[in-house]
Amino acid sequence: MPALSRQGIDKHTIEFNVASSLLSATGLRKSFSNNPVLKDVDLSVAPGEIHALVGENGAGKSTLIKILAGVHKADAGEIKLAGRKLVLKTPQDAIANGIVVIHQELSLAPHLSAEENIFLGHFPRTGFGTLDRTAMRTTTRQLLERLKIEIDPTIPVARLSIAQQQMIEIAKAISFNARLLVLDEPTAVLDSGRVDTLFELIGRLRAEGIGIIFISHHLDEVFRISDRVSVLRDGQLTGVADITSINKDWLISKMIGRKFERHDAQARATGEAAVELMALSAPGAFEDVTFSVAKGEIVALAGLIGAGRSEVGEAIYGLRKPNAGALRIFGKDVRRSNPRYAAAKGVAYVSEDRKALGLLANRPVRENATIAALARFCRLGFVGIAKEKAFVGSSISELDIRLASMEANIATLSGGNQQKVMLARALATKPKILVFDEPTRGVDIGAKREIYRFIEMLASEGVAIVMISSELEEVLRLADQVVVMRQGRVTATLPKSEASEETIMRAASIGA
Amino acid sequence: MANGIASPQLKVHPVVLTIWRQAGVATALVLLVVVASFLSDRFLTVPNLLNVLRQVSIVGILAVGMTFVILTKGIDLSVGSILGVSVVLFAGLLETGSMATAIPLGIAAAMVLGLINGLGVAFAGIPPFIMTLGMLSFARGIAFIYTGGTPIPILDEGFYNLGNGYIVGIPIPTLILFAVLIVSGLVLGKTAFGRSVYAIGSNEDAARLSGVPVKFYTALVYVISGGVAGIAGLVYASQLSVGTPIAGQTYELDAIAAVVVGGTSLFGGRGSVLGTFIGTLIIGVLANILNLMGVDPFVQQLFKGALIVVAVFIMTRSDRSGR
Ligand SMILES: Nc1ncnc2c1ncn2[C@@H]1O[C@H](COP(=O)(O)OP(=O)(O)OP(=O)(O)O)[C@@H](O)[C@H]1O
Ligand SMILES: [Mg+2]
Repeated sequence: MPALSRQGIDKHTIEFNVASSLLSATGLRKSFSNNPVLKDVDLSVAPGEIHALVGENGAGKSTLIKILAGVHKADAGEIKLAGRKLVLKTPQDAIANGIVVIHQELSLAPHLSAEENIFLGHFPRTGFGTLDRTAMRTTTRQLLERLKIEIDPTIPVARLSIAQQQMIEIAKAISFNARLLVLDEPTAVLDSGRVDTLFELIGRLRAEGIGIIFISHHLDEVFRISDRVSVLRDGQLTGVADITSINKDWLISKMIGRKFERHDAQARATGEAAVELMALSAPGAFEDVTFSVAKGEIVALAGLIGAGRSEVGEAIYGLRKPNAGALRIFGKDVRRSNPRYAAAKGVAYVSEDRKALGLLANRPVRENATIAALARFCRLGFVGIAKEKAFVGSSISELDIRLASMEANIATLSGGNQQKVMLARALATKPKILVFDEPTRGVDIGAKREIYRFIEMLASEGVAIVMISSELEEVLRLADQVVVMRQGRVTATLPKSEASEETIMRAASIGA
Repeated sequence: MANGIASPQLKVHPVVLTIWRQAGVATALVLLVVVASFLSDRFLTVPNLLNVLRQVSIVGILAVGMTFVILTKGIDLSVGSILGVSVVLFAGLLETGSMATAIPLGIAAAMVLGLINGLGVAFAGIPPFIMTLGMLSFARGIAFIYTGGTPIPILDEGFYNLGNGYIVGIPIPTLILFAVLIVSGLVLGKTAFGRSVYAIGSNEDAARLSGVPVKFYTALVYVISGGVAGIAGLVYASQLSVGTPIAGQTYELDAIAAVVVGGTSLFGGRGSVLGTFIGTLIIGVLANILNLMGVDPFVQQLFKGALIVVAVFIMTRSDRSGR
């Protein structure tokens, strides 16, 4: 391998036999509008190997796998699968060769059922050439059983949670007889229980000899599951190593080329109640939820996916109508709310579903960042472009958003950077109450810390923060109060002093 | 970049790229003009070009209103019929009253019909295609009932001038088109409302969550489209000097064609009135040159149909690789 001798590649790299490798991609290059995103990258995966791909937001991970998926065409380089050179012009080419990719942004057809989604593109046919529903149904059931996915495959995907939709995507991938399965940040949308399920599944696929590329910003997951790891930084491979020969610090140093300084939370003074929920219920979503958030306080809603946390957040933002109990914002009863009303009261909201409820696809980053706060930049209805640009420019540097220009189409940003634009959008409204649903989804560890610092700073400025998070580490680090939910009910309300991984997990999973 | 239009060698600012994309349509127009001037030496003359501008003004105005609607991912099939209603109203009101009452009332009526579309789409949740299809028939019915089926002649001299006169050598209908274009361009490009129109077309749910008054603005674009159809009706009534109830039949299709040829996406969120204007000109110039060359009107239909499909085909290709 020529890459091994190149400088900048760490000595921990292990030699492997090219002949035995399943995937061997060499010298991949890719530029977008003359902006180099991948600069001569190599990647190899053996059969039955779980290969982690890590790097900061915008490092080029998704771009690399989109090349393997036939979505993008590499400017240079070679891709071999089991020794055979591949020309991948379309996603179909990749799938036909056994390379199946589950992208960062899920892509199911929302109105089709789970089983239809799984077989979209390769429906079983009857002798007459019509759709063989019975075959589809039985195969789906077998598949879901094998993967231990408990979802009714006949209901439309739009009615499934994001976690469930992802399980369906994986089932779909497996149904294509994948030889190389690529998962772009699969765990970003999963809670710990689901991560375990996913990892068990991945373990089984590994035993079947399938090669797996796994992208994650959670380094503990990388250590837990992968055999080898490749690190990308600014489109360059900075390290390839056997997982047993390295540690977290090594990975981080390869990812960002610098060391973190530790940062400890400071105590904050909290003021009067900003949001109060009193025995609030919403049909089919949550019941009898009581907690309050003071100005300057961070309250985390913890629990497993599907526990009703997001729905509580939606109710605070007026997206979901409660049918019993009371919701108060700054001491005033809120009866009939909607997002406009809530926004006028100073509430801002960042949804967990970035693609469906966040991104203004095909619009520039600038417009995406300011759409919630246009009035701030307007005079007599006209948008003050200079003022707007100044704001967006400062958000970009404050949140360290990596992009070509603020006029770039938001769809061209990497996932983590899109998330940061969503944060910028919420912050543009100068909120007094902030509802964050999974604020750091898909964000790299460096940026995560930046966002934590940001949330803490907002809180110390008196903003009341409701944070919905499936990441215990983040909950424990930030929250002044942890409200744990399970099956739509609050099972524990823990002040910081009593919140621990154990107390939270117990309340989240067994309810006491 | 492999989209054929923009393959910059230098590092290009994305704004420039956006202009490039627009320029793709503009380039097509320029090419067409060049080809046309070779095909007929009568083409590239000031009177002929002014004539083209005058001829496209009615559909051009309609297309500007249509652009607002299509940007929100909607469609307005009723603009031809709404134009028809305003035309007969102008004629009828001029019989008894003056321009000062006829013009505002005719345009107001058009806006009311647009408002009904808007309320149906935004508040009753009726799909735009269906709502405006209903209005297409309903408004045409109004025009027929109002006239009893017989055209109403227009004798007002001043009114006649609106459609047929010139100011500093430029046809008044063209000036009206320019005015509508400029105001619309400013509204779409510079105001919070315009920004929101793009946002709604790009991702309605995200816009709603950002506090954009989605229903109100959605209704508003149909009011605009209706009102603009009334303005187009003004030009129509004046040019023909008769209030005929069949005025503007199938114009909605020409307007939609101009919008899509001009690069506005039927999926919402992308496009501009400048593009629409260029699209209008492309269709207008094509018709003009075919006329000058004495091509059979039936054959002209073939050309127009092919042009629409090819233009949109090229556009979707460049969109795909441009991303
Ligand atoms: N279609 C595109 N057009 C222009 N630039 C693009 C396009 N796709 C990606 N980029 C740019 O390429 C860079 C790498 O993006 P990529 O999505 O590969 O990052 P990533 O490593 O997956 O990051 P994340 O962890 O945030 O998902 C980014 O700077 C991004 O803005
Ligand atoms: Mg990515």
